[in-house]
Amino acid sequence: MSTDRDDTDGVARQRPMYTESQVIMTTVKTVIPFVLTYGLFITFHGTGSPGGGFQGGALIASVVLMIAFAFGIESTRQSLANRLVVGLGTVGVLIFAGIALVPMALGGNFLEYTKYYPVLGSALGLKKYEFVKYGMEAVEIGGIAFIVAGVLMGLFFILAAGVTPPAADESAGAAPLDEVTATEDQEDD
Amino acid sequence: MIATARIGLIGVCLALGLFFTLVSATGVIRLPDVFSRAHTASQADTLGAGFALAAVALTLGWDAATVKTVLLLVFIFVTNPTAAHAIARAAYEEGVEPWTTGDERR
Repeated sequence: MSTDRDDTDGVARQRPMYTESQVIMTTVKTVIPFVLTYGLFITFHGTGSPGGGFQGGALIASVVLMIAFAFGIESTRQSLANRLVVGLGTVGVLIFAGIALVPMALGGNFLEYTKYYPVLGSALGLKKYEFVKYGMEAVEIGGIAFIVAGVLMGLFFILAAGVTPPAADESAGAAPLDEVTATEDQEDD
Repeated sequence: MIATARIGLIGVCLALGLFFTLVSATGVIRLPDVFSRAHTASQADTLGAGFALAAVALTLGWDAATVKTVLLLVFIFVTNPTAAHAIARAAYEEGVEPWTTGDERR
């Protein structure tokens, strides 16, 4: 973080180094377990009640966002490998596509869950109509929640890295752009 | 008698919640700089949401959903001021000067 900067009247002023806020850190530490539990709750209750993979995935991603806000975005980015974030989305897409395409291989339509019944019905001990519910559940938990969590985390880190501002834009005025750093180590791992 | 009092209480809570939310929205539009806006958004909005959720809890009565409503209330009371604190702190770190009398709105 910058320690001195030119003000509007041209006076360079000393600011103390940025320290993490005790208030935010304590609140985030307190709230995170509840938010994560709530996100999982929303994810797992997607079929029978309000909720679903999208909302749950967004809540799970917001846990990472809160950690980043409280404890520093750069350190969070370093502890969370890029490969993991991208991998979450990729695994989600693969699971979704797998669950959706296997019924086509079995001679049905895209996402026709009941086609699983002759194959897995006796092994899992489920009735035919229950495959619709649990198939949807599997798509939401394994597919959509992973995709949304991964994509939201990735978007947040890209936004936080910022863009290098176009040069010679002196007329920007009040909005200081000197805080936009950290684009250089965006490609870590 | 009890039912009438309960309905009256629900109405009062809803009216207060609406009032504080309206004040908060007006403040966010009308106040001059980021610090005062963050302040009105946290304080008045927390109270508005609190009263509205209290009305919801009263309406539901003794129910499992009431527990969720009260939990929601607790978390709003914890997180909303923290969010305002984070916004004001970030603005200060960026070097935003607080508005004083005579400055223009920004």
